Amino acid sequence: MSTIDLTPASYRPAPSGDFDPSAPDHHPHGSPVRRVLGMARANTVLLMRNRMTFAYAVFLPLVPLALLFASERGAETAGISALANVVMLSAIFPVYYNLLSLTVTRRDELVLKRLRTGESTDREILASMALPGVVVLLAIVLLSVPLAAALGQPLPHNGVVLAVGALLVAAAFAGLAFWTAAWTKNAEAAQLTSMPVILVAIVGSLWAILPERIQPFLEWTPGAALDALVRIGWFGQETDGAAVSFVDSFAAAGQPLVTLAVWAVVAASLAARSMRWEPRG
Amino acid sequence: MTTTQQTRTAADAGRAGTAAAISVRGLRRTYGKGADAFEAVRGVDLEVPVGTVTALLGTNGAGKTSTLEVIEGLGRASSGTVEVLGLDPIADRAEVRRRTGVLLQSSGFSGDLTVTETARLWHSTLTTPRPVEEALEMLDLRDRAAVKVSALSGGERRRLDLACTLMGRPELVFLDEPTTGLDPESRREVWRLVRGLRAAGATVIITTHYLDEAEQLADRLEIMHGGLIVRSGTAGEIADGHPSTIAFDRLERALPSLAGGTVDPSSYGQPRTVVETVDLQATLTALLDWARAEGVRIEGLDARTASLESVFLAIADSSTDDRRATAAPQSAPTSAPTSAPKGA
Repeated sequence: MSTIDLTPASYRPAPSGDFDPSAPDHHPHGSPVRRVLGMARANTVLLMRNRMTFAYAVFLPLVPLALLFASERGAETAGISALANVVMLSAIFPVYYNLLSLTVTRRDELVLKRLRTGESTDREILASMALPGVVVLLAIVLLSVPLAAALGQPLPHNGVVLAVGALLVAAAFAGLAFWTAAWTKNAEAAQLTSMPVILVAIVGSLWAILPERIQPFLEWTPGAALDALVRIGWFGQETDGAAVSFVDSFAAAGQPLVTLAVWAVVAASLAARSMRWEPRG
Repeated sequence: MTTTQQTRTAADAGRAGTAAAISVRGLRRTYGKGADAFEAVRGVDLEVPVGTVTALLGTNGAGKTSTLEVIEGLGRASSGTVEVLGLDPIADRAEVRRRTGVLLQSSGFSGDLTVTETARLWHSTLTTPRPVEEALEMLDLRDRAAVKVSALSGGERRRLDLACTLMGRPELVFLDEPTTGLDPESRREVWRLVRGLRAAGATVIITTHYLDEAEQLADRLEIMHGGLIVRSGTAGEIADGHPSTIAFDRLERALPSLAGGTVDPSSYGQPRTVVETVDLQATLTALLDWARAEGVRIEGLDARTASLESVFLAIADSSTDDRRATAAPQSAPTSAPTSAPKGA
């Protein structure tokens, strides 16, 4: 069979090559970044290899922009709704659903259990799974800037507010994905168990058509917070339509950003309490 | 489970081959609470010297994997202390993991990744890895490098798992049933690897259902039953003092006195008579002398010294497994035949 023997000499780490300390390597072996990126790379390959998930993750979030073709060029209401939906669909598909099915599948394949026997910490393993979806979300938001501009929409009014909002919504839905995975029996069951979170995600965007009595509650949903952030951060408008300056937009974004931060913290704590590393059985 | 200065010194000395790679004292592990509580490990003491191979044997449910999980730092003990390379496997996790390699009972890989992609993934998580190609070569997987894991045979998947376990050049290697499901040739290859690890100065702890494998590879055997280590030592030491057996087809006449040999009462009225003796030669001589003098033909004669297998089966049959306090119908520990060596 093999020609390599495990002689004592072969067993010691090689002095050069892989271990050359002078090699220009920003993330040497043994560093957390190296481990997270290495595992995230494999997760990205898996995401791209599953064509259905990949199509959902990358193309579906862009559909609302396509719908802008059908509306009057530069219409603000349509623009705000479309861009808020782009971010929300990115949170739902590449982040939430992809991560949910990845977690359940890899848990059931015993990959998570196996990885935990190695040097990677639990947090690193979780981060490596969330990373590809979060990167897709950020890329889609970035891509939306020129696409929306081409369709007559303005450039973002306050990019910082938008970026922080996008990161918070990604964190919240990543946490919710790990939490949902904890009580999802297998990959097929994820189609059903994902429903409650997806409902919570979209209910906030439906505020305009829901009864007035429940409106105060809707303000605290991630969907409503995203809607407000797109309105403030991209279009420079208060919820009532009044213009807001760049400086004032930070203050105006406070409440929706806090809303998303609360969702992120709650989701992370739910995930931490419920995380399962081995098949449910 | 704190690590004292003293034990760190011991670990350092361990590299010279004097101290314990693993030291376990009074380990207990309970699953569940209240009436459903099940104590899988009931006070295990275990010492694994640096540079040796130790085999942990036992029937299914004896507590082997539960014990290993605590030593590997994957599970917590209910009580007792565990030191691995002089360190606490949970508090000193980073250092312990860097120096150990674990092979779990079941392999865990994504079916959609290729062999190389899987190996590269492991490579990225290690501090001092062998090159990916070398690790694959070691387990004869080069030809399969571009194949998806889902298309591998069970044996190939196991070899990939082993390649990952050994990729980090571990000082201490945990192998939980490394050869289950492997063809005989692959089993020999794994044996060669284990011997190579030992020659290179690594310490190996291995669980297996194959007693011949344990005898071949291990410096020391630890037999677990009912959550305890019930027998330790070399294969010879373990078999020592256990009676040898003589078996033959039942004779239709009374047997003579057999120089200390006694008929196993459970063989009364059976087609085969079994005689147990501590002095096989004397008893066999008495039996054969008597047969020649009386003109008796003994059919199906079989005489054997106590072997690891006979001791193991005797332990597996003994019903000391009373870990479950409640009378809930619980399937008994898997009986001996299923865990006896399956060919090879």
